[in-house]
Amino acid sequence: MIMTGNSEKHLILIIDDEEVLRDGCRQVLERCGYDVLTAGQGNEGIKLARERMPDMAFIDLKMPNMSGMEIIEILSRDIPDVVLVMITGFATIVSAVEAMQKGAYDYLPKPFNPDQLRALTKRALEHRNLKIETRRLREEKDQMERNFITFVSHEMRSPLVVIRQYIEALNAIAGDRFEQDVKEIIERCTKRVHNLEEMVEHWLDISRIENGTLTQQKVSLSLDSIISRSVEEMAPLCRKKGIALETNSPRSLPPITGDTESLVRVFTNIIGNATKYTPEGGKITVTVKNDDYYITASIADNGTGIPPEKLPLIFEPFYRCAEKNEKSSGSGLGLTFCKKIMESHNGVIDVSSREGEGTIFVLTFPISINTERNGSVEIQ
Amino acid sequence: MTAKKKILLIDDDKDFLFATKLILEKGGYEVFLAEDGKTGVEMWKSINPDLAIIDMMMETWGEGFSVLNKIRATDTGKETPLFMLSAVDLQGPYQSFEPPPEFPTVNKVLQKPIKADDLLGYIRQALGVK
Repeated sequence: MIMTGNSEKHLILIIDDEEVLRDGCRQVLERCGYDVLTAGQGNEGIKLARERMPDMAFIDLKMPNMSGMEIIEILSRDIPDVVLVMITGFATIVSAVEAMQKGAYDYLPKPFNPDQLRALTKRALEHRNLKIETRRLREEKDQMERNFITFVSHEMRSPLVVIRQYIEALNAIAGDRFEQDVKEIIERCTKRVHNLEEMVEHWLDISRIENGTLTQQKVSLSLDSIISRSVEEMAPLCRKKGIALETNSPRSLPPITGDTESLVRVFTNIIGNATKYTPEGGKITVTVKNDDYYITASIADNGTGIPPEKLPLIFEPFYRCAEKNEKSSGSGLGLTFCKKIMESHNGVIDVSSREGEGTIFVLTFPISINTERNGSVEIQ
Repeated sequence: MTAKKKILLIDDDKDFLFATKLILEKGGYEVFLAEDGKTGVEMWKSINPDLAIIDMMMETWGEGFSVLNKIRATDTGKETPLFMLSAVDLQGPYQSFEPPPEFPTVNKVLQKPIKADDLLGYIRQALGVK
């Protein structure tokens, strides 16, 4: 006896109004070790299928009362993972294509011999097993990804939190007795731990965007407020580095739809990035413009610029422009985050740069099509 | 000599307990540690602390809340200042913790890690206004 490699016996349903054909198929398939159900017409077949959940069904295309096409449509919708094969005496390409569009796996033209029936059954059931296995693996992978995010957020953050808390404790109980060099070591440790925390956070954010679990509250907002908040946040750093930070914005801007927090982080990320490659005395300029459909915000610096061969790579995770001997800080995920956030806003992030002259990041946002003022509207 | 004020710390991370204990002792408090919610509630009843700090995320996500409820339900727990500790980012990256409406009053929600000066400042404030 031929088994299909599966320990359980496969159940096959045959729906055909010709008794001779039904019985012939039954005999062939039962001899192969399958369980077989038969039905002489559509309604009966569908009822049987719903009750017994077959793995596979052969359906005659041309039957009185209900056409094979209808049955295929119903079964592929109602019976999960069932493999449907159309039996037809008029095997036209058109009807075959239609059956497949409705969910059939293949068709068997009449007349056919037992070998053809056996071969097609075997192939169809293998297809079914593969389909089920693929889905199981995909589900497992998704689950693992979700678990991994949870794992990272708990298991990687807690030790970092504890290390920072220990450093706090160390400073609290003995900070006033430390020599300058000890203080410096502690300071550097703190900084590195902080960087690692940042990397974990960024990585988590990106994973969340990718699997759709990032919480974003999309409301109608003015890009102006986002930019002024971001500039305010970045001003101290720029002052410290001796870099001027300027904004040019039209008096009034049409609203866009977005999540305030993530957009502020896009701007602070890009401005922060610019400060790393802009020398003291340099300048970072945020310029906003709009037409009837789009608002563009460009963040330009007059820093070292990015070599053309590196430009296409800067949005890649963990890519760094800094050469080995340059001091680099940050997670290497900031621009990846910005790109993902822009995409989730139906926006675009672009970059152009000239070595020795500076870099311009351009963010393009679609303007909200807002019928009611102040309403929060999702862009379609 | 006045007795030291007593603070109860409930957190399932030993190292976090130890680090925070050092800070609190430096601040002149007598510190009691509980590594799980059940022990925490028992210690609350036996030592009668002047303030308790409870981690929100012990074992299961609800344990911190249930500890808080149990402590608030005791006689001494009604007026005593209670602080909650939260690791950043529970639901999403940007949302800090917001207590549900039926949540018993917490005097302060602190983010981990907490700066020594801030922690001692909040405690002084909470104990001072008592």
